[in-house]
Amino acid sequence: MSGEEAIRLSGSPDMEGSVLIVAWAEDASSLAERTADYLIQSLGCREFGEILPEGFFPMGGVNVVDDVARFPQSKLYVSDSKGLVIFKSSIPRMGWHRFLTSLLDVSEQDCRVKEIYTVGAMISSAAHTVPRLLISIVNNKEIKAALEPYNVVGDNDYETPPGQKPTLSSYLAWLAGRRGIPAVNLWVPVPYYLVPIDDPRSVKRLIYFFNSKYDLGVDFTALDAVIAEQNNKIAGLFEKSPEIKNMVRRLEVGEGLDGEESEQLAREIAEALK
Amino acid sequence: MGIRYIKEPGLIDPVMIAAWPGIGNIGLIALDTLRRSLRAEQMAHIEPYEFFYPRKVIIRGGELVELDFPASDFFYHRNGRSDLILFIGEEQPAEGGGVYATGSMAYGMANLVLDVAEKYACRRIYTSGAAVSPIHHTARSRAWAVPNSPNLIAEFKSYDNTVLMSDIEGRGGGGNIAGLNGLLLGIARRRGIDAVCIMGEIPVYLQGFPFPYPKGSKSVLEVLSAALDMWIDMEVIDEMARQSESELTRLYEKLPDEIKQQLDRLKESTVAAAESEGLITEDDKKKILEDIDKFFKHDGGGEQH
Repeated sequence: MSGEEAIRLSGSPDMEGSVLIVAWAEDASSLAERTADYLIQSLGCREFGEILPEGFFPMGGVNVVDDVARFPQSKLYVSDSKGLVIFKSSIPRMGWHRFLTSLLDVSEQDCRVKEIYTVGAMISSAAHTVPRLLISIVNNKEIKAALEPYNVVGDNDYETPPGQKPTLSSYLAWLAGRRGIPAVNLWVPVPYYLVPIDDPRSVKRLIYFFNSKYDLGVDFTALDAVIAEQNNKIAGLFEKSPEIKNMVRRLEVGEGLDGEESEQLAREIAEALK
Repeated sequence: MGIRYIKEPGLIDPVMIAAWPGIGNIGLIALDTLRRSLRAEQMAHIEPYEFFYPRKVIIRGGELVELDFPASDFFYHRNGRSDLILFIGEEQPAEGGGVYATGSMAYGMANLVLDVAEKYACRRIYTSGAAVSPIHHTARSRAWAVPNSPNLIAEFKSYDNTVLMSDIEGRGGGGNIAGLNGLLLGIARRRGIDAVCIMGEIPVYLQGFPFPYPKGSKSVLEVLSAALDMWIDMEVIDEMARQSESELTRLYEKLPDEIKQQLDRLKESTVAAAESEGLITEDDKKKILEDIDKFFKHDGGGEQH
């Protein structure tokens, strides 16, 4: 099957020099998906295509999550007025090269993409009250320089440890680089106790970056309301449990928690944020 | 995508030898040792993208500087008589994420390897791997030979320390060769190319460990030396085998006496003795493997991992 056959488009977007944001599902606190969803909704993006699942996902049945059968999805959305393309996708389980090549083909040929971003979460031991960092991995020096005004941390050294594999985002950035397309992997460290729940502050950090850099005019009202609601619930927990409050304070000053404390914190925060 | 040639050397009546990772990395170590001793030069590689997920990323100062894929390289060596093409694959393309090649990717890679063999009119192809056998690690490994044509049987029967499947007790000449070592034989037959898989024996109790087993590799090299009528320098592989045996013996001494006694019975295991009584039965084998697995997981030996 060729790259063209892997993609189904319902009308190409009419744009020159767009920006592509790639959001893989299933990362910590569903950060990438939530970020993509907020942008899609607030910018009124329309769906215009998808990568078909055959050859990329095992067709041995479906997963059931929260009582609902789920099927892998890999969909393209566009905001014509903002020159923004969003790709929201399950992580393919096979045929990675053809999958990413198909995405790059449609990005180059149909959307005239000039820059690619992937967004995702890292797990952090920091407290939720600490400002979120934005960490970048780039595929060329020029785009690294272009990120400097946006308070992005971009000086990390890393090598994949034995027994682990590079991320799909790294693979995409590398393939984009071979085509001369600048690409950035953006990572936000998410407090570990928010990983199974939601971390709207991290969502805001990412959207704030895109809003500043590309003048998207995003309305943050709904996101701020989610952050305020989460703050209130955690504040309520602190009132009921000084012990939990103290644990978070210790994380704020960089003191670690032992295994039992870490579990207790995660459990009680999850309960409070239900 | 497919094969990328770095050089296209003229070769005389070549033979191809191929190896991939597997149990004890027996084939891979044999072929890599041969490649080094012959100072074989790289001539081509198979582009990895269709077959493999990258295995390593290197980031420096926030910049992605390298993405590394498993290599699948062809080397050549001219000896003026019957030249060699060596193929070394660092991974087998497995759709299910296992060690051994499966599915359409395996078929695709086997065909690309054979495309090079056909382009150079290789008269024969050798693959090499491991034969899991009820032997003791102090014993000399034999080489099991599996040709893809009955015409080759007589030749391989004539080589020292070499057995056919029918020589192995209880097999009745049958068996299975997992992954590309086996697949290549089958596809070569379809293309009308003679091919033989040479498998060096590895003790049954070491099959699940991530240790190389150079003794098995040496038995592969010995058969290749005879079949190719070519002197192969064994100094390096002998040293590896000595070190490996010394490490294994050190580990062996730590085993509980009950397991050691069971394994010591394998010292009696030879082709001739295989029909004798008192050797290890299938039940014994199962119990030994379970005991050893338990020992390494829970009771000791951790320094070796």
